[in-house]
Amino acid sequence: MEVTKVYVVNSALVKIDRHFSKGYKELANEVISEVISKSGIESVDLVVVSNMFSDCILDQLDISTILMQNLGMTKVRALRVETGESSGLAALETAWMAIESGAAENVLVIGVEKVTEYPTYKINKMYGKVLDYEVEFIRNITPPDYAALVMKAYLKKFGLKREDLISWPVKMHDNASRNAYAQLSFRISPEKVFTSMVISDPIHLLDTFPLGDGAAALLLTSSKAVRNTATEPVIVAHVDSAVSTQFHLREDLTRLPATAALASRLKEKFGNKVLTEAAIELHDSYSIYAYIILEELGLAERGKAREIVDKLEFVNVSGGLKARGHPFGATGVYQIAELYKLMTEGFAGKKFDGEYAIAHSMSGPDYNARVALLQKLV
Amino acid sequence: MKYSIPKFWRRKEGYYQVVLTKCKECGKVAFFAYVRCPYCGSSNIELVKSSGRGVIEEYTVSYNRVEGGEEYLPKIIAVVKLSEGVRVVGELVDADPAEVKEGMAVEAVLRRFSSDDPHGLIYYGIKFVPAIRR
Amino acid sequence: MFRVLCVPRPESLTGIVGWGAYIPRQRVKADEIASLWGFEKTLPKALWIEEKAVASVDEDTVTMGWYAAKVAIERGNVDPELVGAVFVGTESKPYAVKPSATIIADALGISKKKLSTDMEFACRAGGEGIRLAIALVASGTIKYGLAIGSDTAQASPGDVLELTASSGAAAYLVGPASESVAQFEGVVTYVTDTPDFWRREGSKYPSHGEIFTGEPAYFHHIMTAVKMLFDELSLKPSDFDYAVFHQPNGKFPLQVGKKLGFPKEKILPGIVTPWIGNTYNGSALIGLARVLEQAKPGDRILVATFGSGAGSDAFSIIVKDGIEERAGRGPKVEDLLKRKKYVSYAQYAKSRRLYIRNIG
Repeated sequence: MEVTKVYVVNSALVKIDRHFSKGYKELANEVISEVISKSGIESVDLVVVSNMFSDCILDQLDISTILMQNLGMTKVRALRVETGESSGLAALETAWMAIESGAAENVLVIGVEKVTEYPTYKINKMYGKVLDYEVEFIRNITPPDYAALVMKAYLKKFGLKREDLISWPVKMHDNASRNAYAQLSFRISPEKVFTSMVISDPIHLLDTFPLGDGAAALLLTSSKAVRNTATEPVIVAHVDSAVSTQFHLREDLTRLPATAALASRLKEKFGNKVLTEAAIELHDSYSIYAYIILEELGLAERGKAREIVDKLEFVNVSGGLKARGHPFGATGVYQIAELYKLMTEGFAGKKFDGEYAIAHSMSGPDYNARVALLQKLV
Repeated sequence: MKYSIPKFWRRKEGYYQVVLTKCKECGKVAFFAYVRCPYCGSSNIELVKSSGRGVIEEYTVSYNRVEGGEEYLPKIIAVVKLSEGVRVVGELVDADPAEVKEGMAVEAVLRRFSSDDPHGLIYYGIKFVPAIRR
Repeated sequence: MFRVLCVPRPESLTGIVGWGAYIPRQRVKADEIASLWGFEKTLPKALWIEEKAVASVDEDTVTMGWYAAKVAIERGNVDPELVGAVFVGTESKPYAVKPSATIIADALGISKKKLSTDMEFACRAGGEGIRLAIALVASGTIKYGLAIGSDTAQASPGDVLELTASSGAAAYLVGPASESVAQFEGVVTYVTDTPDFWRREGSKYPSHGEIFTGEPAYFHHIMTAVKMLFDELSLKPSDFDYAVFHQPNGKFPLQVGKKLGFPKEKILPGIVTPWIGNTYNGSALIGLARVLEQAKPGDRILVATFGSGAGSDAFSIIVKDGIEERAGRGPKVEDLLKRKKYVSYAQYAKSRRLYIRNIG
């Protein structure tokens, strides 16, 4: 059998915002129309939908079917993927596996999320369900509590003060100020991080993501179909994922075990440079996780990530979850779209000429993590 | 009724007491009653009860507002190292944030986790307090 | 002339094998309550109430009763599987229908083959639970019986009752006299239909007859029960080393004790209300726990409970060898009295859900 590569040939994004007047059907329709129309691809034989909250927020099961029905895309194969906050990359993972195996040729990946249907206190409760309902949720433990405990453990382990870890949100907001699709496109000063409300001490509001609706779409094809595309293709060289242990079972609370495993597997398969020289979009749901992810990916020594933040030119160019936003199920799709644009037409005022780009996503405190490796076509 | 009755009821021994999963295969011990060893996946496990006594390793004061949990805020979530050497994460109550210190002795007590609306079930479970008993 | 056979009283076959108490950490000052509601500032002193214990939002009759019971079982060093009865005396059940006793029993790993029920008789149901446990143990029906008195007492904001109504619990593990450190010598219960204090179904707070709760209720029932006990056991006040009474405030137990002929010194050790308030079903029983934790072998203790509606149990208890060692096995009332944090009226009102909120 002919070995096929997998390619991203087009992407489309919606500005992340409180889209009160648009439902998930409208948002999905916008990006799907755009991503197909300019691509040169006539039809799609598989649609993978990424959405985290459809059951809780939208009162909708089987959202992939309902969405296809509403868009008049019947007879197509469609399914929905959900792996918590990393659903977007899980959708890519599914599409990649389908094309690589020869099961599908042209795949539409669509991530869509509507968190503004309900007030924040209701969303906060639902978001807690990425943790084990019976072990953690019912015992009143929530995701920001874990991030706070990780931050405290990190500060203690490396002898740092809280003030030593404020560069990340500042840099994210600066990057997002050039990203037309970002939810929070305004710069902030370091002091603002501290004056923002405490969520779980020492995590402040400006250490974490805003709540916003979003939709992003990707068009992927196989080696055969890529010759017909009108847009520039980028190779999806590899997608990997891993599940890690529950928080209280971990030896070192300052490590992200699933992310670490994926970084090690990527290094083994593609070499060190792939991580240190790539453009990266990583899952900074909380600023402390960003520092640790940089260390797990090998960009900085343990405890020293804060020293390299200001030097990072191609990490979270979008502004990351912090400032670009985190429409949960759609986020991973945004990451791929942003890296794809960065490598082809340019994005947020930058263009990346390197060979590799990495998207990293995780759910909760790294309960599962996913990475996608994009490679420039040479 | 917001939570399922059987879902809470079947696990209540693990909510009302501090239960540990001891693996006879890999030797590790985990807080909570699992169906298999959460470390190695072995089915060769036994459930044991903990004394519920331990010390604080880490803690956070949380203002995270979730529906139905308003009256319990601010809450303290602590990482506790039980005397059996097992780590558990849980709520710390009857303590001022200012007096919580790493190494502080705590004991497990039965409290309310939450309850449905005024007509629904009350969910009791183990939380931690600064040790009362010597 | 008839020959009267001396049959030992069944109570004497039983005794206290373990005991425990629980007092919530929060305290609100009586002065603050009085000041808010326009009570004259010397009133708290006249009642002898300084501050009262307030259960936290995540505490209730079940959680407090659980702690007291856990201490009692551990103090008695008894296998929970051998406890054959669990009674909870309370007038603040978290569920009007669904027993608190079964939640506490299961949480403590107590045998499922047992008698169990929640009982209401205002403040004295916990004491009645002790009597029932005594009877079950003495008759050989069970090996050990657990009687718990626990309340998050209600009082209408602005009512004088609010100065004292508080939260607390006590538990007594009754077993064979040979395993006990305090033996029951005798007990008499005197009960009548006297409506001095009540709470209708659906009402959030109780109503009471204020001065009527005194002479015709509290004083009459306690004094009658105690005098009946003196009579049956041929005892008098000077035979006792301690006299513990139900204590709706600090003054009443001193007054009823004085009327019965007890000197102040024998009553004071069993008084806790001035610092924790009236814990309703915990009241006399927490006082007894405090006395047990300072008593010496050979001491004789009088305990008189009182519950509105109305009735009183009068117990005579003889302290035995081993009391000090057993007292040392767990947290004492003194430890719980010392564990405190003052809160504002607002925090107390939030803790006890006195505010109307949009929930549900």
